[in-house]
Amino acid sequence: MSEAKMITLTIEGRQVRVAEGTSILEAAKAAGVLVPHYCYHPGLPVAGVCRMCLVEVEKAPKLAPACATAVAEGQIVHVHSGKALEARKGVLEFLLINHPLDCPICDQAGECELQDYTFAEGRSEGRLIEPKRFNPVEDFGGDVLYVTNRCILCTRCVRFMDDVAQEPVLNVSERGDRAVIGKFEGQDLTHPWSGNVVDLCPVGALLSKDFLNKARAWELDRAASVCPNCTQGCNIMVETRDNMVVRLRPRSNEDVNKYFMCDYGRLNYRWMNRTDRLEAPLVRHGDRLAAAEWEVAIDAAARALEGKRIHAVVSPSLSNEALYLVARILGRGDGTGAFRVERGPEAPLPGVEDLALRADRAANVQGAEMLGFRRSDAPLAGLRGGDALLFVDADPSVLDVGDLERAGAVVVIGTALPEILRTADAVLPIANMVEEEGTFTNIRGRVQRFLQARAAPGMARPSWWVLGDLLARLGEPGSYFLASDVFAALAASRSEFSGLSYDSLGLRGLPVMAPAGAR
Amino acid sequence: MAIGVKVVTRPTEQVSYVRATLKGMALTFKHLINPHKVTTQYPEEKEPISRRWRGTHRMLTDETGKAKCVACGLCPQICPANCIKLVPGEDEEGNRYPLVYEIDEFRCIFCGYCQEVCPEEAIHVGRHYENAEYSRAGFVYDLERLTAQTHPVCEMWDPADPKGE
Repeated sequence: MSEAKMITLTIEGRQVRVAEGTSILEAAKAAGVLVPHYCYHPGLPVAGVCRMCLVEVEKAPKLAPACATAVAEGQIVHVHSGKALEARKGVLEFLLINHPLDCPICDQAGECELQDYTFAEGRSEGRLIEPKRFNPVEDFGGDVLYVTNRCILCTRCVRFMDDVAQEPVLNVSERGDRAVIGKFEGQDLTHPWSGNVVDLCPVGALLSKDFLNKARAWELDRAASVCPNCTQGCNIMVETRDNMVVRLRPRSNEDVNKYFMCDYGRLNYRWMNRTDRLEAPLVRHGDRLAAAEWEVAIDAAARALEGKRIHAVVSPSLSNEALYLVARILGRGDGTGAFRVERGPEAPLPGVEDLALRADRAANVQGAEMLGFRRSDAPLAGLRGGDALLFVDADPSVLDVGDLERAGAVVVIGTALPEILRTADAVLPIANMVEEEGTFTNIRGRVQRFLQARAAPGMARPSWWVLGDLLARLGEPGSYFLASDVFAALAASRSEFSGLSYDSLGLRGLPVMAPAGAR
Repeated sequence: MAIGVKVVTRPTEQVSYVRATLKGMALTFKHLINPHKVTTQYPEEKEPISRRWRGTHRMLTDETGKAKCVACGLCPQICPANCIKLVPGEDEEGNRYPLVYEIDEFRCIFCGYCQEVCPEEAIHVGRHYENAEYSRAGFVYDLERLTAQTHPVCEMWDPADPKGE
């Protein structure tokens, strides 16, 4: 980057220095000026078809499209000059000629760029008296619905499928005012990353069938998070309405997922809203489990674990914080920990380097391995007769009754209580991933934070809280006040994480220390 | 210590009740024969109410009798009292419509914003004030109730005619 020649120009009276070859639009962004645009998207090749980003460049004969014009030394750019505003007003009027203005029933309303820019720069009243063009709604396959009438033909979706997904399915069919986005004969949007066209669409033309009519954009609460569905660790935004997760969307991170996320991750959110959750700590009373106070339950769990060798079966989707605390509980004796990872086919996104739906369908496989848990298809193999089994939110299908009979004690820490675990000595309910704060370590060793998006049900507590209290009850320093305190303890005790903190991670994450030699 | 009380002796014509009673009855009989009536014989008679009266809601319907509402979500958004509950859904033809539309008339402050914001001219505040119910639950009007109401609706503030003349 230092090689690049720097260019100084003035945009709206502000001086900026950017690398040679930058577009005026990107330079304006650096100067804090938004140039309205539709067809331009930083993750896609430049097309320059919408003409919405026209800006006035002094001494240039015509208005220049900011997305396709490179900066030049000493340029003076006016984004909001009368000439530029007049031109964009005209562009907006043309875009609205065939736009149905059905904002009240459009899912994009509230996050629609056509709405925003028309409100900001468009005419307050239309002058068109001719009837509008009408085309029926088309099913594009996958999760995508195409509402032809709303389309402004920015071709972001076409360019995404051509250049990023590299599976050309979409095209611009017909010409002139009859032009629409079409599919090639016999093809559907079945590419595992094709759901991104819905996010890319600046208007409500491409809609997610899953999200259709579910919520309005302004009703949603958003929390920055990390996709928990594979080891890639795409940065996402968890969007909730009335404490229910209704949609996951990608959050841009240049180092991980750019602007994209796969359909598998995008649509695999229903488990976050599960209602058959554990809501109160349970303690064994004779032959049944009875709800108890937290202190009583932590006590019972500690008594069950005390004095026995512990074998932990953990979920590879637990946060680093929770796994670190489990590792410390195991470290008190010669405990062992193992986990099993669900696997599926890998699906790369060809246009972006090192971005794929990974085969391991759990968020924190890397973190679990770094913290000393063994990956195994039979995670209960390490359970010796008389050992205490600590079952932390793992997949119950790894269990069979024989294992539980072999165990000297069973302590379950989890979001739900499967039937087979009803023989447990103590059951502690924890929040799931969207109900707590924490970090995951992705496949490339990048530690990324996720924030709480919804409230945990009943008395359930974040996993780091429960495990910290359990650790404290076992006589170790524990009882943490915040997730960041747990992470600080983790960073202080593990060399890979040293130097990292919630503050330094921010919302984009940082890579862990390069492993010194063979780990 | 005894409290000293000052006894005031007044002339008889001042303390006699006969005089006051006659004065009062004179007023009563005067009203008995006075043709200018002030009392409205409610409920037989009703006072006319303003064209801009904002009372309990009414949902207007289209020609087929379905509610005009498209569940755009603007009225629950604008409602300052947070009294509108709306769950959007999709009908057989793929049209957006309200699965649940409830207005809690107890919470409502009758500001009329819902009518003003409605892009489909579906929800209206009504020119109506007789709302007695036997239960509190009866004041949560569902979509069926809202569409079944027949009272006239409010004619909102018209910028061209700010005084409503």
